[in-house]
Amino acid sequence: MKSFQVSVSIISDADIVTARQQARELAKTFGFSSSELAVIAAAISELARNIVSYAKKGTIFVKLIQEQGKKGVLIVAEDQGPGIPDLHLAMQDGYSTMNSLGLGLPGVKRLMDTFEIQSTVGQGTAVTAKKWVM
Amino acid sequence: MKVPILKQGNILIATIQSALTDQDLISLKDNLSHQVIQHRSHGVVIDITELDVMDSFSTRTLRNIASILKLRGADTVIVGMQPDVAFAMVQLGLTLPNVKTARDLEEGLTLLK
Amino acid sequence: MEKDTESEPTSSYAYNLMKEMKLDEEEILHRKAWLEFEEPDVNRLLELNDMAQGYATEVIESLYDHFLKFDDTKKFFEDPQVLNRVKNLQKKYFLRLTNGNYDDQYIQERIKIGSVHASIGLDVKWYLGAYGFYLRAVGKRIFKAFKSNPEKALESYFSLEKLVYMDIGLAIDTYIYQREATIKIQQEAIRELSTPVLQLREELLILPIIGAIDSQRARQLTEQLLHAIRDKRAKVVVIDITGVPTVDSRVANHLVQTVDASRLMGATLIITGLSAEVAQTLVTIGVDLAKINTVGDLQGGIEEAERILGYHVTKSLEDDSK
Repeated sequence: MKSFQVSVSIISDADIVTARQQARELAKTFGFSSSELAVIAAAISELARNIVSYAKKGTIFVKLIQEQGKKGVLIVAEDQGPGIPDLHLAMQDGYSTMNSLGLGLPGVKRLMDTFEIQSTVGQGTAVTAKKWVM
Repeated sequence: MKVPILKQGNILIATIQSALTDQDLISLKDNLSHQVIQHRSHGVVIDITELDVMDSFSTRTLRNIASILKLRGADTVIVGMQPDVAFAMVQLGLTLPNVKTARDLEEGLTLLK
Repeated sequence: MEKDTESEPTSSYAYNLMKEMKLDEEEILHRKAWLEFEEPDVNRLLELNDMAQGYATEVIESLYDHFLKFDDTKKFFEDPQVLNRVKNLQKKYFLRLTNGNYDDQYIQERIKIGSVHASIGLDVKWYLGAYGFYLRAVGKRIFKAFKSNPEKALESYFSLEKLVYMDIGLAIDTYIYQREATIKIQQEAIRELSTPVLQLREELLILPIIGAIDSQRARQLTEQLLHAIRDKRAKVVVIDITGVPTVDSRVANHLVQTVDASRLMGATLIITGLSAEVAQTLVTIGVDLAKINTVGDLQGGIEEAERILGYHVTKSLEDDSK
């Protein structure tokens, strides 16, 4: 049976590899070019690593979507970690709290067509992003 | 999956596979750091032809590897980066400044001679 | 209802076209409402059917006589076999107007007609003229048949006219839709052609960019170039942007990205043809040009590329060459 979504729980750095491989396989069935697949894999890698580094555990959810005749993928990265105190600051290039994030979030925003982030201190963070097939 | 390291003359060749975890990269850093001294190598080629993605962590780690090896007396060349990987990397805002790059293993080896 | 033995099955092509053009049930009802095409119209048209059976052949014959008088339409019917076949189809099409049941199937048939006309290159004016001819031929006969009841004649004629306008709307929309689809395909082809990656010699590629660059084109360009670097094993690439009218910060950033990505792959990029105005703009908007290897013109760029590749190009003297 053909599946239209994958969900990967992220606990260790090996899960980062699993998430990006599964997302890539899924997106491939939808007609993304090889260059777009690399972009999707890179975005998922960044999001999954944020989860491992800051929240310790969370989920990466990837789904094939169709809207107004466009095809694309929806990526949701969710965790119940400490949350980000200053979102505005986190979305600036070069921001890092553990000297490991760096370009993470703004980079992902640049890679994707839509990008939304919600974060509550003490409750967690959710990133929702979409990428359309060109 | 551990990254295999081959010795060819006074050059070390590390060949990275596609399913590279953060841990694999950190071990690679430690192993290369040891082996350049052990084998008195003056150059290291890291072949990433098989790698299908580079993110901020792998970019930073490769950069660190090059810096550490420099301090240990060896030059590093990254070879074989795929077009799609390179494009996604620069869109993320990542580059490898001050790290030598070459098209393939052969050219990397020539560069270190 | 319909004696379906002779009617052509509508192709799945027309069905797909109908879906693509978003002609769903709601849209069809919407169109009918706009034309005030209602149940009494259907009944009036059905009433005309018997009469239409009687004069169909005559009307078709006169229509084709008319066609054959004009070179533009005549050229489609030079083969008598084709002419015969088309006449038969036309008759069926004609009788279908008074057949009732103006449903999905009907819409598909009409779309197919539009699509066939578009694909053989029959201009809309001929199609419209032929429909006008139909209306006059049939109108005359309706008024003659209902001579004692001119009001009924007019009503029947209006019903037919409404349906004909619906047909025309569908056919023209199909024309436009198909033409737009063709334009889109051509635009893509032009875009690909407009950025040829040329191999000048071993390990050296040239990419002359002509025309405006938007984000999408810039992305395609970079993608194409990076793949060419790998596939052709290029070491140096010269990008000439003499033909690019405006370079704004977005385009400049794409150039910087392309330079960076090429370097990551082990290749060097040289940019030529940066005009004085463009250079000034870039400095003013603060683009980091330090990374970009620029050379004034294409010739200089090629010379620089050859130097990097270790070529030494000299003019051979006629007498002592070799």
